[in-house]
Parts: sequence; structure tokens; C-alpha cells
Amino acid sequence: MATITGVERDTRVKQLLYLVGGALALLIFIVPLAFGLFRSVQPSDVIVAAPDPATFFDLTLENFGNLFAQSNLGRSIMNSLIVSIAAAALTAAVALLAGYGFSRFRFRLSPILFGIIVVTMMVPFQAILTPLYLQLNAMRLTDTRIGLILFYTTVNLPFGVFVMRNSFASVPAELEDSGHVDGAGTMRTLFSVLWPLVVPGVATTALYAFLVSWTEFLGALTIITDPDLYTLPVDMVNLQQGAYGQIDFGLLAAGAVVAMIPCVILYAALQRFYVRGLASGAVKG
Amino acid sequence: MTATLQTETVRTPATQTRRPRSLTHPPRTGLLLVLPAVAFVVVFVGVPLLVAIYISLTNFPLIGDYRFIGLQNYLLIFTDPAFGRSILYTLLYTAVVTGPILVLGYLLAVMVRSNRRGAKLLRTVFFLPYVVGLTTLSFLMVLEAQPDSGAVNIVLAWLGITDGSTAWLVDGVLGTILICALVVWGVSGLTMMLLMSGMQQIPSEVYESAELDGAGWWRTERNVTIPMIRRTIALSVIISVIGSMLAFTQFFILTQGGPGSDTTTVVMAIYKRAFVQLQLGAATAMSLVLVVIIGLITAAQFWLLRERE
Repeated sequence: MATITGVERDTRVKQLLYLVGGALALLIFIVPLAFGLFRSVQPSDVIVAAPDPATFFDLTLENFGNLFAQSNLGRSIMNSLIVSIAAAALTAAVALLAGYGFSRFRFRLSPILFGIIVVTMMVPFQAILTPLYLQLNAMRLTDTRIGLILFYTTVNLPFGVFVMRNSFASVPAELEDSGHVDGAGTMRTLFSVLWPLVVPGVATTALYAFLVSWTEFLGALTIITDPDLYTLPVDMVNLQQGAYGQIDFGLLAAGAVVAMIPCVILYAALQRFYVRGLASGAVKG
Repeated sequence: MTATLQTETVRTPATQTRRPRSLTHPPRTGLLLVLPAVAFVVVFVGVPLLVAIYISLTNFPLIGDYRFIGLQNYLLIFTDPAFGRSILYTLLYTAVVTGPILVLGYLLAVMVRSNRRGAKLLRTVFFLPYVVGLTTLSFLMVLEAQPDSGAVNIVLAWLGITDGSTAWLVDGVLGTILICALVVWGVSGLTMMLLMSGMQQIPSEVYESAELDGAGWWRTERNVTIPMIRRTIALSVIISVIGSMLAFTQFFILTQGGPGSDTTTVVMAIYKRAFVQLQLGAATAMSLVLVVIIGLITAAQFWLLRERE
């Protein structure tokens, strides 16, 4: 990112347009999200009432307290964390090995196997939902966290393999050879010599997989039917559709804010990697 | 993207075959390294896809016996007006959101592509809704779409457009409008990021010479930027079209496909058929039809892109 030079020269008019347009767009994009944050500290009865200046700013943290006391959202947050972190780690590990294999090793099946992975990237999981469900069911993986973890790994893997292959391709071959001259085996070379150079790719893959898994909805809704194993988005649907009786809008707002937090923090901290991953071109819609 | 593709085609077969059998990189090790990834993809995508073809020819229920019924499922879904309507509705939704997402994404990309003061911050903020994801955004929208209390209604009433009592989520047309607006706002950031990376690879000399020719902003965009990032534009349109064709979450959360089945998308129709009506055979047939539709759209877009070259 740092190497970008100005694409165009600015005139006065352009500068003014940039200033006005930028400020306006900033408001349009930040205000709705900030308002969501604000809603989560309003009591439920204020959220559902026509705004009254007398009560609109009576702020409280009770929604977040209720989140853990009155609903099962605490448990589903844990489920989401376990599943997303495991899927991110597994995706990164499998993609790391595959990226190394595809970029540095020559073997007869390599083009075919890589082709298979690229083709899968074009088969959206939403379109094979029922056969995939039956497959997981036959393997006794429905209604398990493991099943969901394996599913998310599969969803994110083609992107990860793409990113990791590109990462390894940009490492100079001489560097790797020096590892081999020292007599290190494949795995030692990978982890001692190459690792520092491909860490950005690993970070991109893991971050991407985490965010996709954390916000994924349809797969979790289909694969998990046991309320004890619900992920956060699925549990929030129950909340919204009144499974716990009267809809509590305060809980819904607080749940949405909790769902937003990891996304915003991870993205802010690792933006560089994320954008580079996107730019490397293998993004699924 | 383009850079990746180019290096692929440049690598000639000659350099591959001339390379001696490597001692430090034995072929078997390479195969072992890629095997886990291949296994995942084969087990969870390849096999289900093949099994799906068989299942779509049976009356497969969730529990109990099933038998081979030939093409009956396909006849059923093609004569079922509900499935046809869900396809039409999804196409309509896709047609409505694709243009605005591209235009908004493009304008945002123009705004943040150079290293002007604050461009980095703007980039981050514009992309934030996409990072938060449509699931969470939809939950927040549930609150703001409520009559009299939701922000959407308050703002519209304040602007004098409505009286603020609109019940957005129980009307097919209004629900669709609201979801389209939410989606355009929520995912334009992705288009922006993709287009921006494309724009940043255009050498600045190109712009300098356009400037010397006295070309204005729009002429420069039309004659320089757009032709040079055409592939990136095509890629972002394909990504956005496929995403819209597979839309589910925002509809499930905001309108539940209703009222009736007015806002039921294809994926939701499949979901309901499989897990509410428990007709997995018919649902699988619908899934395969969707795979073919997506494949055709992708192929058509690649073909249209190639045509102009």
C-alpha cells in the first residue's frame, strides 16, 4: 500500500469535491453502524417507542447483562468462537501445505489437482446445500461442531490455497535452496526458512476464514439443529423470531454489536493483509 | 488478478519439462502436501455433487425408504409455479442491485484510489459494512424498519417523504426495496476495493498525458480508466451477480420470504423444500438447476468479456 503514488493531479475543484463527497460518504457509511452501537445501550422499551427526547438518551448496559443472564447467547458466542477459530486454523494449515506443494513441487497430477480446487471455487455451497447436508449426515457430522468446522474449512480452502500458492511463488528459490543445502528436510525448510516469508499469506487466509465463519448463516442453520450448539447468528434468529417469547429488541441490538466486535477489531488490526488478499484476486462472492 | 493470470500463461511447458527430477523437491512429497486440501474438496464438494445427481432422481426423504423415480422431480419443479417465481424474483433482485453496487463502488473507488489526505480512513470506513457482514446488518435493520420507532421511518418522516408509520417488512415490494438499499450500502465496499486495486496499477504517466490533452474528468475515466480496468470491472460484476443469485440471509432475517412467498429467493425455496417440506429429492433437483444457472451466468459473463478483445 505504501508504494502507491498519486494516481491523478488535483485541481481546486477536485479537492473541494473530494472534501465534500468524502465527508458526506463518511457520514452515510459510519452513522448507521454507530447508531447500531447506540441502540445496544438503549433500553428495549425506548427502542420500540417513537423517539421521545425525554427518554431517548437514557442509556444503560442492561442489554449486555441480559444477553448472558436471560438468553443463551453467551453459549452461542462461545460456539461461534470455537468453530471460527478452529476453522481459521485448519484452513490456514491445510492451505499452507497445499500452497507449498503446488508452487514448489512438480508432480504429474499437480495441474489436475489444482484444477479441481479452482473448479470447486466456482461451485457455491449454497447451490449444493442439500447434497452436502446428506453427505455430512451420512458421516454423522450434522449437529456437531466438528462438522461445521470441516464445512467452513472446505468453504474457505480454495481461496486459501490460491493465496498461499501466490505467497510461495513470490519467495526467491535461492532462499529455499540454502535451507536444503544445510540438510534440512521439507518440513524443517518450510517452518524455519520459508515461514517468516509466507506469514502474511497465512494471516490473510486465517483472517478471511475466521470472518467468513463468524458471520456465516445458512450453513450453520442447516447443519446444526441442537440449540446447545447454535452459533451466534442462528441463535439471534431465534431471539428475533420470538423463540424466547416476546421479542427483546435490546437483546437483538446487543447481540448484533457483539457479532460486530471481532470483525471490526480484526479488520482494523489486519487490514493490510485482508486487502492484499482481496487484490490477489481469488475472492468468492 | 490480471498479473496472476498473465504469469500463468507466460510459463511455457518447455521450462517445466527441461527441469530435472528434483532431489530437494521429490514429486511424492509434493503430492502428499496437496493431498489434504484435495481430500477436503473431493469429500465435501465433489462427492456431494455426484451423489446429488442420483438423489435428484429419487423421492429421497430425510427418514425412511426411497425409490428411483426418474425425472419426476425435475418435472415437478419445472411445473411448480413457486419455483419458477423464486427464480424470477431472484433474477429481478439481481438486476436491481447489480448496477447501483457497481456505480457506487466505482465512485467510492475514485474517491479513495489516490493517496490524498484521509483516503486510507475513507477506504477503511467504506469497507466496514462488508466486513461486518449482511447477517449482522440485517439484524440491525430489523430494529430500524419498525413503524414509528425505526430510524428508516424517522428519517423519511423528517424529510417529509412518508408519515413514518411504514411497516416495511410485511409488504413484498417495500421489503424488497429496503433489502436492496441495505445490500447496495453493505456490499459496495467490496466492489470499491477490487476496482481500487485495479485503478492503482494504472501508471500515472497515462493520466498525465490525458491531462495534457485537456481531457476532463469523465472523459479521462471513460477513455483511460474504464478500458484499462475492464477485466477487474468484469470480475467484480461476476462476483456481485453470483452473490445476488445466492441471496438468502438478508431475506430470511428481514422478510422470512414473505408475505406469502413474495420475497422468496431460489436458495430460500430450496431450503424450505428440503428442511421444511422434507422433500430432499426435489430440493436436490432444484439445487442442481441452480448450479447450472450459476454456471451459465458465469460462462456468459466470461464470454461477453472475451468478445470485446
